[in-house]
Amino acid sequence: MSKVKIVTDSTADIPRELREFWGIGMVPLKVHFGAETFEDGVTIGSEQFFDRLAKAETLPTTSQPSPADFLEIYKSLMTEPDTELISIHLSSAFSGTYQSALLAKSMLEDPSRVTVIDSKSASYGIGLLAVAAAEAARQGKSAAECVEVIQRFRRETHVYFLVGSLEYLQKGGRIGKAAAVLGSLLNIKPILTIDGDGTVSPADKVRGHKKAMARIVDLLREKKGDRKVQFAVAHSNSPGLAEEMAALLREQLGADQVIYTTLGAVIGTHVGPGTVAAFIYPE
Amino acid sequence: MGKRFNTINGTDFMHMISTAGDNLNRNAGRVNALNVFPVPDGDTGTNMNMTLSSGVEEAGKRPNRHLGKAADAFSKGLLMGARGNSGVILSQLFRGFAKHVLNLEEAGPQQFAAAFQSGVDTAYKAVVKPVEGTILSVSREAARSAVAAARRGADCAEIMKAIVENGQAALNRTPDQLPVLKQVGVVDAGGQGLLFIYEGFLAALQGRIVSSPEAADDPGSPDIAGGKESPAAAAGRVHPSRPVQALLDAGGIEHGYCTEFMIRRPAPGKQPGRFHEASFRKEIAQFGDSLLVVADDDLVKIHIHAEHPGDVLNYAMQFGELTRIKIENMREQHSHIAEYGAAPFPPAAAQREVRETRDEPQAPLSGHGVVAIAAGQGISEIFTSLGADVVLSGGQTMNPSTEDIVKAVRRVQARTVFVLPNNSNIVMAAEQAKELVDDRELVIIPAKTIPQGIAAMVAFQRDASVQANEAAMNRSLGGVRSGQITYAVRDTEIDGISVRKGEYIGIMDNTIIVSRADRMEACKELLSAMIQTGEEVVTIYRGEDSAEEEADELEQYLIGKYPGLELEVHLGGQPVYAYLFSVE
Repeated sequence: MSKVKIVTDSTADIPRELREFWGIGMVPLKVHFGAETFEDGVTIGSEQFFDRLAKAETLPTTSQPSPADFLEIYKSLMTEPDTELISIHLSSAFSGTYQSALLAKSMLEDPSRVTVIDSKSASYGIGLLAVAAAEAARQGKSAAECVEVIQRFRRETHVYFLVGSLEYLQKGGRIGKAAAVLGSLLNIKPILTIDGDGTVSPADKVRGHKKAMARIVDLLREKKGDRKVQFAVAHSNSPGLAEEMAALLREQLGADQVIYTTLGAVIGTHVGPGTVAAFIYPE
Repeated sequence: MGKRFNTINGTDFMHMISTAGDNLNRNAGRVNALNVFPVPDGDTGTNMNMTLSSGVEEAGKRPNRHLGKAADAFSKGLLMGARGNSGVILSQLFRGFAKHVLNLEEAGPQQFAAAFQSGVDTAYKAVVKPVEGTILSVSREAARSAVAAARRGADCAEIMKAIVENGQAALNRTPDQLPVLKQVGVVDAGGQGLLFIYEGFLAALQGRIVSSPEAADDPGSPDIAGGKESPAAAAGRVHPSRPVQALLDAGGIEHGYCTEFMIRRPAPGKQPGRFHEASFRKEIAQFGDSLLVVADDDLVKIHIHAEHPGDVLNYAMQFGELTRIKIENMREQHSHIAEYGAAPFPPAAAQREVRETRDEPQAPLSGHGVVAIAAGQGISEIFTSLGADVVLSGGQTMNPSTEDIVKAVRRVQARTVFVLPNNSNIVMAAEQAKELVDDRELVIIPAKTIPQGIAAMVAFQRDASVQANEAAMNRSLGGVRSGQITYAVRDTEIDGISVRKGEYIGIMDNTIIVSRADRMEACKELLSAMIQTGEEVVTIYRGEDSAEEEADELEQYLIGKYPGLELEVHLGGQPVYAYLFSVE
């Protein structure tokens, strides 16, 4: 029976303990503050990143792992002969990470042992796919079956998030259809989501923070329907917002266990501080 | 004197409508003063006047002995120039009238009476919720009596007399039908405006001039039933010299005649010589404003807005022969008042009739756009920043006409255009605009205040479907409470609130809830009434009459009293309303 292992990248924002528990591999993206380069989640963590961001004169930039970076990790994970890999990554609309992984796969002796998947999402939207796959793998499911699980979860997962300011998405070039909300003279809070293409788009616009949070709960309720679901909350440097969101999920949507995670340096570069995101996904 | 009118033709009709036009014009201020709300933009008279002027002007362009053709031109002018709800109803009344006489060269008494009835039928169909005690019921009673008189064998002049008498009686009854009229002690403004029109018609048919407004001060004036006036009504009755009228005309015209001419020099019998332009300018500038002088030694071209064009011409004659003289009564022009906020617009257009750009779209139109109606630079910018394609100015004492709205809609390169009237008195004109645009789909979102319009704008998503947008925008209207602060133009008792002229009144969703001598107090009370949970989003738009320190004080007060509030302050720059508040 072949062994299935799961690999993802640093933008998956999987809490460390969870990642270690499931044995999920991680390929780091890079963050550049001027001439200094850091490996996301390896040589720079969330807290340090946001500290530096606050002090930085110019915005940091990010870059994808090279095919060689992927190759190294792939090889190290496939030392046992029957191992198959499932490599799940940041939306290809946001980054060339997925492309790099595909290239690395083509450079392997036996590329058929690796399946590369475009999560069409970001942050824990990737992480939860990896966790679901890892759980399936541990149950003894085949690579094909794990891929099916991933695809089902990808279809049934939704995310809604608020950013502190649209400027980071705009300057980083990942603002997508939410660009339509820019320039309003009134304090409008766009509720952002990642749509089926894997790009950012505005799900709604409201005025005021409380209304925005309430609206996110409404949107999640619509997506929930009658299903049994799980929730996760991610934030950048804003534990208060995360707690506020989790409380709402518990009170209004009956969430029992909410997974908390922090947005890493790469995602953080593109959304900025003060961001809170809520994920809803199948059990 | 008085011709026995067995038939009315196009020429008679023209005479009727221009006499009515003059009569209404003279009395527009009196109609304005009847507006129940004692606010500076109570403008029924102005709106009806401008609507009627538009009709008379259009009829004047196509003079015809054929009654049907004359009435048709009149009706078209009214339709395009319709402003305010009363203006729209007026246009519908004559739309029905014109429809009935369309194929008649002249109308006998039966047809004449039936035409009035047809007008009433058309107007009632156009209004979703007809209300008794308004221009509608007055017109209905008038038409009914016209038909009865015709059956008895009356001639046209006698029919018109029945219309005036029964219309007046119906007008006098309006305070019994609409409680707020009784409360304030006035008859319905729209109905009164209609009476002035009917009186004009009657005067034309009887071959006399209508009496001047000074006569209106006598106790026989038709302000309230039975000739007995309440103190409030007496206080509110407008005398032309009162400052209130100046207020009402504030946005309007001081030098009423646009005068252009050329002087061919030298004057006959005089020697040719230098033309002293500077001293000429200085002299002629005393007659008015908007002066333009272009001169060389033998030809001087002058453009000026003057109240006494004759004096200007008399002065100019000493310099040479006058030629190419053109004088226009600007108070009859209507369409130069509308301004467009979103795109650059040639300044000359502000003085003249707006020329419609003939844009033939190369590709078929698609997508959605928004036209918002608003006054105030800041408010206009906010709408634009939220995605409005065109912002049409609502003006200070004038509402945009149906035609203004149509032109604004045509400037939007989209298949479906959402229109936000943002004023309860503009909704009908917007609905009427729908009938006049066939190359675009118009969706009217019935926003009655600026805050409602802004909420609808936030709900708008260019990529969503028409149905989804319509639903979301309509839904958003109920989610915002609107507040307005302005000053009272007269004493009155309304909605249980005692209002003294000059006090600051606070209006919440079109109901007056407070009147105070101190503006800060009025603001605080209004806001306290509007805020319920203390956790809402409050936006303050300050107008051109407001002061920054005042807004700061208000901010401090709100933050202190409601720490959970989310507050925003913007410079709206709107006229008339020192503050607009929205609570969501």
